[in-house]
Amino acid sequence: MSSQSLREKSSPLLFLMPAILIMAFILLVPIIIGLRLSFFEWLLRNVSDDPIFVGLRNYIELFKSENFRTSVAVTIRFVVSVVVIEIVLGLVLALLLESGLKGLRFFRTLFVLPIMVAPVVVGVMWRFMYNPAYGKINYFITSMGFEPVGWLSDPNIALTSVIIADVWQWTPFVFLLALAALQGVPQDLSDAAVVDGANYMQKLLKVKLPYIASIIGVTAILRLIDAFRSLVVIFNLTYGGPGVSTEVMSLHLYKSAFVSQRLGLASAIAVLLLLLIILLSLALIISSLKNKEK
Amino acid sequence: MKRIGLIALLVVLLVSVSAFAGGQGEAEQAPAAAAESTDGFDWRQFEGQTIVACWPNHGHYNATIKSGVIEEFEELTGIDVEIDLLQYIKMHDKQVLEMSKPGSGDYDMVSMVVMWKAEYAMGGMIEPLQPFFDNPNIAVPDYDFDDLVPGYVEVTGIAGGENIYMNGEGAELYGLPFGSETSFLVYRKDLFDQYDIDVPETYDDLVEVARFFHENVDGVGGLTMRGASGHHATHGYLLHASPFGARILEKGTWEPAFTKPESIQTIEFMKKMVEYGPPGMTGYTQDEEWQAFLQGDAAMYLDASVFTGAVNDPAKSKVVGKVGYALHPTAKTAGSETGGFGLGIPKNAMNPEASFLFMQFLTMKETERKIIEAGGAPFRMSSVNDAGLQAKYPEFKVLAEQLKYANPDWRPIIPEWGEINSTIGVYINQALTGDKTPEEAMQDAVGPVRDVLVRAGYVD
Repeated sequence: MSSQSLREKSSPLLFLMPAILIMAFILLVPIIIGLRLSFFEWLLRNVSDDPIFVGLRNYIELFKSENFRTSVAVTIRFVVSVVVIEIVLGLVLALLLESGLKGLRFFRTLFVLPIMVAPVVVGVMWRFMYNPAYGKINYFITSMGFEPVGWLSDPNIALTSVIIADVWQWTPFVFLLALAALQGVPQDLSDAAVVDGANYMQKLLKVKLPYIASIIGVTAILRLIDAFRSLVVIFNLTYGGPGVSTEVMSLHLYKSAFVSQRLGLASAIAVLLLLLIILLSLALIISSLKNKEK
Repeated sequence: MKRIGLIALLVVLLVSVSAFAGGQGEAEQAPAAAAESTDGFDWRQFEGQTIVACWPNHGHYNATIKSGVIEEFEELTGIDVEIDLLQYIKMHDKQVLEMSKPGSGDYDMVSMVVMWKAEYAMGGMIEPLQPFFDNPNIAVPDYDFDDLVPGYVEVTGIAGGENIYMNGEGAELYGLPFGSETSFLVYRKDLFDQYDIDVPETYDDLVEVARFFHENVDGVGGLTMRGASGHHATHGYLLHASPFGARILEKGTWEPAFTKPESIQTIEFMKKMVEYGPPGMTGYTQDEEWQAFLQGDAAMYLDASVFTGAVNDPAKSKVVGKVGYALHPTAKTAGSETGGFGLGIPKNAMNPEASFLFMQFLTMKETERKIIEAGGAPFRMSSVNDAGLQAKYPEFKVLAEQLKYANPDWRPIIPEWGEINSTIGVYINQALTGDKTPEEAMQDAVGPVRDVLVRAGYVD
């Protein structure tokens, strides 16, 4: 009896084992190697030499470095901005198009296009549009009589420019998921609310949003993780400039590894980035679980 | 036509009987022993091999591809050439990765920006070239090494001597100049004539002229300049630091020297140029810098001399025939850039000898002329000083004069330069955008730059 229940309990584990082992191998091993490397000094230009153990020096150096602290702040500002804006915009768009609007299919296709553009292309495209001399954006601004804007050359505006490009590309992703979720809201729930005399806002806030909240939560986590790692668009758009005003952690990591060629220091940044993502994702997951319990 | 050219080339090579004297980077080394048999050089000894070259998407290299000399080389030797064309600033990471592979890497030839030379050479990633030149089987007999612009050879090819990156004791040859450059002034002759402006000879003149255009000519800024955070801002700074007498590192002690008054003066000058120049220069990479002049948005350009190829290309330039050339203006001293690209052979190249043949072929006189015709940059004294070429390309005359003032110690291209370069460029950019005052920015840069120097053991 007990052996059977044991077998019942262990057989799923047995079936899962190969997948778990493979995942552990390709996910955990690099992370562990990276973690170990973060305690070493290893120069890319001398990769044939053995790494030198330096203890916590890389971490101490990072916490003392003004540029690293700036990059953390820039990353958080970037991530929070894009996730909030994309979720709100995506939701609004989905609500607008949800109620059987004519040409829904056309708009859906149109809105999805930016996701399919390769990030490198997005970077180059926006770089052209932001160009102070021949960019379209400044052309329209100046032809309407306003002063030209230093989209990529003004340290106070550059991060906004980067955020605009990211929002342009990723809002459709939120829109798609939100639209799918909204279409999953049972019609009888809405109808019941209408029968009870709920107006549009009440229906939205009391029925629809609570119903799709968990999906929006997952979408937010996906976007959050992705935004933390986003590199390519910024790489092509500003390469971190002006100054370090758009240098997110992943770009700082890239520069440490390939410009400064310090693989140990880069690993230390990677570890900190990973910690930050895990903490924030956990916070989001826990809060969405709590919501569900309510 | 191609075939006739090829035969002509072969005839030239076979008939020439001048003694082999080239290939000596160091004067004290004796010419190769087997120099007597100059005819009958075997170009086809590596037939069937393939060489992969990592090249930048850059005017000179594009002109080389356009000129058809690569196909000529393939026909002459039976060697296949594959070009991996990359954005120049991105080549470094890929090259380092390939050259650090155990066994053999993908590249048989790398084009290196001079600032990577010492890093590659001291890191044992590229081959010293003297043994190749000493091998009579693969050294082209009438190559005439001494005709290569000496300043270019020093800056693109020499490592291990004075300051690690200059001629002197212990120096060895690691590369040949190809796409090398100095800096001079390119200006809009039509506008200068129209407004009756004298060509600036000093930095004071330069400021005045830039201010004039900014204030009086709608849609045309003064000087176009790179200012984007990192490498580009540093490059922009170095161009003017040399005439102002500013240095990045103190000679002899390796201590940071960029907080001195000359350096602050340099940045003050750059800030004026940002104010008087086309909009958005603090975000300019080399591409935007070039575009601003080519599109007619700037009256002057003061940077790498290879720019002339693009200026004279009607497909790229709106200012063809409207430009003049002049010497790099002087401040405290005269001193122009030494930079650009050189060719090297990775230590882990699959076919180093075939690659060496290609390297020599590309830098021979006959090939150089064809590349110049296609818009490339000269790198041999015989071309720069050639009366016929000077008549056809007025910039050659300026170039010949400018080369006398090219500063071989233009920047400290020690192996750690890449890190210093990008670090300091962030602070220069912050000074240009007004985020920090020049003094603050340069003072803030001392710590991070010193860290690099301490780690590498230059200073305590």
